[in-house]
Amino acid sequence: MTELDMTTFMNLMVVLLPFLLLTAVFSQTAIIELSLPSAAGGTAAIDPVFRLEVIVRADSIEIGDGRQVFASIPKRDDAYDLRSLNDQVVILKRQNPDTVSASVLLEPQIEYDHLIQVMDAVRATHVASTRPGELQQIALFTDISIGDAP
Amino acid sequence: MKTTRRMKRMARNRGAIATLSLTSLMDVFTILVFYLLVNSSTPEVLATPKQLKLPDSTIETKPRETVVVFISPTEVTVQGEIVARVSDIESSQGQNVAAIAASLSKVNESVIGTSTRAVAQSREVTILADKSVPFSVVKKVMSTCTSEGFEKISLAVVQKAPELAQR
Repeated sequence: MTELDMTTFMNLMVVLLPFLLLTAVFSQTAIIELSLPSAAGGTAAIDPVFRLEVIVRADSIEIGDGRQVFASIPKRDDAYDLRSLNDQVVILKRQNPDTVSASVLLEPQIEYDHLIQVMDAVRATHVASTRPGELQQIALFTDISIGDAP
Repeated sequence: MKTTRRMKRMARNRGAIATLSLTSLMDVFTILVFYLLVNSSTPEVLATPKQLKLPDSTIETKPRETVVVFISPTEVTVQGEIVARVSDIESSQGQNVAAIAASLSKVNESVIGTSTRAVAQSREVTILADKSVPFSVVKKVMSTCTSEGFEKISLAVVQKAPELAQR
């Protein structure tokens, strides 16, 4: 029986594999585009339409519409309760299906990581899809601006 | 000496050269190599320094070629050069950081080649900030960017798989 001599091909593979494995990028970066930069500072005049405001404090998250605060979610186990926040935001989205804009307001000492996590909770929720093992994304308030907590 | 079955088999196969069957290994290698080649052919737009820990997010927007600002736990870097220290920004009173403003305004002047020109003219900034940076620092950097005419700001994150919301 004659066999193909694959030694040279093997050499090539053995060299290529570690090289490609080393250079491969396994973590994908993405970007969050901000709708309104926070440079302007002061908020615009109160308009009649609903506007979601999520205020991140040192020990809790408050949900309001700029005039009043609906709910305050305290920290649980030294971490923000993002699931409860997400549930609350879903309820507010049901009441105001046409609104897409929201503000996330933070106190100065809050870490940047929490900003991103809270923005995630405000922007979308994930429910079980019709296909098993997959999640379907439902957009909530996608137009998020950032500012200082009052 | 009693001849065992193994000894008989060894005697019978003495002349033959044993060859390794590499076919399945080759299959695995070939598939792996092609997978990695295809994967590595998409160039990385945002090169993240190792000491920078980006936050995780479920968003899927792809990064673009823009002006890049790094905020590490210790210093701020604009287009690859260190311009300010985070501790100084934190303690400063004003909304804008003069050093960052100066280097952002220089971005337009130091255009070499077409790709950097496109970057400078996009008037966009991507901020890559470490998880632990306080919001006040990020906000000062962002307001400096907008006051320098970079109206569109994006925040870089590491993509993660979404979690099922509690029903």
